[in-house]
Amino acid sequence: MATAIDISSLMEQMKSAASDVAKKDISVLKGFSDRQIKAIAQQAALVAAGIASGQITTETQEFFLDSLKTMAQSFANTLQGLAKVTIEKVWNAMVGVLWGAIGTATGIDIPAIA
Amino acid sequence: MRSAPRLFVYFPLLLILCVGLSACVARLAPNYDKAIADGLVTASQQIMTHFASTSSGTAASSFAQRDATYSSIIGNLDALALQAKSRPTPKSSVGDKVNEYLAKRGITITDTGEVPSAAALEQISITLTKMRDVDKKQGVTAFEVAAFKGQVVIYLDQALTYENFLEREGN
Repeated sequence: MATAIDISSLMEQMKSAASDVAKKDISVLKGFSDRQIKAIAQQAALVAAGIASGQITTETQEFFLDSLKTMAQSFANTLQGLAKVTIEKVWNAMVGVLWGAIGTATGIDIPAIA
Repeated sequence: MRSAPRLFVYFPLLLILCVGLSACVARLAPNYDKAIADGLVTASQQIMTHFASTSSGTAASSFAQRDATYSSIIGNLDALALQAKSRPTPKSSVGDKVNEYLAKRGITITDTGEVPSAAALEQISITLTKMRDVDKKQGVTAFEVAAFKGQVVIYLDQALTYENFLEREGN
């Protein structure tokens, strides 16, 4: 039987669904960022020390220096890709709750549309 | 019965919501592919074994002993990058709306449409190709091996983290 939607309860459920996903994903994103920032900083120090001591030869100097920039860009690109997945998951979690509420209220089983 | 009048009031609103959100379940990133994730793990092992065997530095005179290993690693990486890149990347209006929302708040996201793991894999391939070329020409110092390894590890972390992150519920 169809029932009415309790707006404030629905809002709470949507908020809760979104924050459950966000909390979990943000800790992964933070862990990844911390690792990458530390590793890129260590790589920069290694390259600088190697160039100063001559253990990084002229054959590879330019390559390693250019790569530091590419690495940072690639890190930003990956972070953006991860954030996209999180946005997708947050959105879908909220829509799932919304769909469920509409289905219960109308008695119609609404399929998820991709 | 109290619920019927409320349903009567809300039903048009719900109907509008249903129609308005008809493209609701969003897909903003490619699907998880276990073959790619597993391929990455295998490639990582192969690469780390190579770095372990060259960690003291190499001499150009013994390059022939390593040539086949370089070819195998680079070939695998290029194949994986191709697999990662060739997955269809969904285009969703949700993504556009999120970008519009962020742009209004001064946050601009340049969406190149590039798959981050594929781009990272290409960089690993470039790094190992450079290492191979230098190894062939003059050998690589132990310090250079450490620098090549450091670079590869950073890109591997990017590729692995992204591919594993694609494994959402229901995949």
